[in-house]
Amino acid sequence: MFDSGILLQIIFWGLYAGCIYILLATGLNLIFGVMKIVNFAHGEFLMIGAYVTATIFLLTGINPYVIILLSMLVVMGIGAIVERLCFRPILGTSKLNEIFLSIGLIYIFQNGAAMLWGDKWQSVKSPYQGISLPLGSLSIPLDYIIIMGVTAAILCGLYFFLKRTKTGREMRATSQNRKGAMLVGINVERLDILSFGIGCGLAAAAGTLWVVSGQVFNPYMGSIPAVKAFAIIILGGLGSIPGAIIGGLLYGIAENGAVYFLGGVWKDAISFIILIIVLVIRPTGLFGESGE
Amino acid sequence: MMVRTNRKNMILYGTYAAIGIAFGVPFLSSNLYLLNLLSLMLIFIIFASAWNLLAYSGQGSLGHAAFFGIGAYASTLIATKTGFSPYITIFLGAAFAACIGVLIGLTCVRLKEWFFAMVTFGFAIIVQTITVSILSPVTGGWDGIASPRLLNPGIPAYQMIEYYSVLLITIAVIVFIWYVMKSRIGLAFSAIRENELEARASGVDPVRYRLLAFAMSAFLAGIAGALQIHHIGYITPEIFGVDLSFWPVTYVIFGGLGTLAGPVVGTLVLTFIWEGLKMAGLTFSRYILVGILLILVIIFLPKGLVDLPDKVQRWKKDHQKTEQVVTSSLK
Repeated sequence: MFDSGILLQIIFWGLYAGCIYILLATGLNLIFGVMKIVNFAHGEFLMIGAYVTATIFLLTGINPYVIILLSMLVVMGIGAIVERLCFRPILGTSKLNEIFLSIGLIYIFQNGAAMLWGDKWQSVKSPYQGISLPLGSLSIPLDYIIIMGVTAAILCGLYFFLKRTKTGREMRATSQNRKGAMLVGINVERLDILSFGIGCGLAAAAGTLWVVSGQVFNPYMGSIPAVKAFAIIILGGLGSIPGAIIGGLLYGIAENGAVYFLGGVWKDAISFIILIIVLVIRPTGLFGESGE
Repeated sequence: MMVRTNRKNMILYGTYAAIGIAFGVPFLSSNLYLLNLLSLMLIFIIFASAWNLLAYSGQGSLGHAAFFGIGAYASTLIATKTGFSPYITIFLGAAFAACIGVLIGLTCVRLKEWFFAMVTFGFAIIVQTITVSILSPVTGGWDGIASPRLLNPGIPAYQMIEYYSVLLITIAVIVFIWYVMKSRIGLAFSAIRENELEARASGVDPVRYRLLAFAMSAFLAGIAGALQIHHIGYITPEIFGVDLSFWPVTYVIFGGLGTLAGPVVGTLVLTFIWEGLKMAGLTFSRYILVGILLILVIIFLPKGLVDLPDKVQRWKKDHQKTEQVVTSSLK
């Protein structure tokens, strides 16, 4: 009934699912760190990223792992526009306003995508579909390994950007103390646009990986992964990127375990049950520092 | 002072006129489509008002469909199992929703805005999952079950009686919310919303009052859900969907957050915009337009449509002032 092979498989599937959540959660954390806002429509950028990749792939047939960069750039642009037009005017007003504004964005993006691409479930075949590598007792699809590699590469790139470049340092300074950053002459509004754009770009990367791994997508698929990403950043602490990575991996494993033991219906509900248990015990999140 | 009394009178007359029109509509037009639309609109006014009451205590829920659906399912099941009239079971179902509301409230009244929104959003999904998995023998799973109609469709002009029943319940709910907002409870709610620390310092227990807001809001949402399902005659787990959680938020933001008239005005205006766009043959773009309108209202009219007359007046006054300054400086 229960053997180590299945356990290994659950962990491995969990790691793969975790990669997508990590990218989403890291983007959200970056935006929260700099702007102190939470965009509930973050999942919509994942959806747009998924559709952009799928469209380019179906039109040109380029390897989807290459399209990821293009898709990220497109969604970064959309994100920058959204920040400038929608979030900038309400920055500093009631926090509830951000939540309500996100609802408007969700309406616009979901139905805009439905108009452009139709509201049917779609899926795309990866060029490496069917190839798998043997690992001990189980065989692992090649796609999953590439996805983990791509995620690691993107996260390393982000780490390098934040630690080594001038803009990255400015960004960290702003998330530590916005007023202080303004005082030393950092243009925080430019960083707002940039961090929002990068956050959306990471969501697009997550969307691309979602498509490449052969999962189905439709215009309404974004909300659930986004809420799971929120659960992860609550577990890992708002604004903490290492927390998001550890939280994402743990979360992916927990979710796949729950599906195996309780049945597929519980896949989405389990995330909230974890979230609620954590919040009941610690209303500020598991590693939640002062933050908000 | 004069302006103030005028404004008050205008609001009073406007309310009388609205109630008069609401009672008169079935006599003016026997169009069943219109009657059905208005009944559903009234139900959504109750739902939006329920959400608004919770927001009045500073809690913006994104999962109010949970209470809407719980009220509907509970009322349906009680009515089918016991044979009571839906007129009674609506309130039993709503009471059940209020009990669940208190339980849910216990977990999230201490949370900040974002966490609160996420947890309430999550509860709607958890309730849906429970409905289609553990409770599926009773609830019929994803297929749903038939629900007794509010009135036997064999009764002559039953739709008109149904409309009047819904209208009376809506008025009762709005009067109830008006009373709550005026009372000490309402004062406590807005104190907690504005500054929790100061509220606590002046002897208001935030947790207790937030739970009270939760119970009242869940009760009213349950009434709305039960009314809608007995009006339609069928219930599926789709009732817990994200769409139904977002509608009351949209209506209230549109009309004016935290005001008595906000949900009514918002639901009224948006329903007619919505139906108008439907007649124009738009499907997905309806949502896009509503989304754009919502964002514009949040940015440019943060207090909603009910604030529009005041805003216009303020703008006019400013305009006159600048004109005076310009003319006097020219002299």
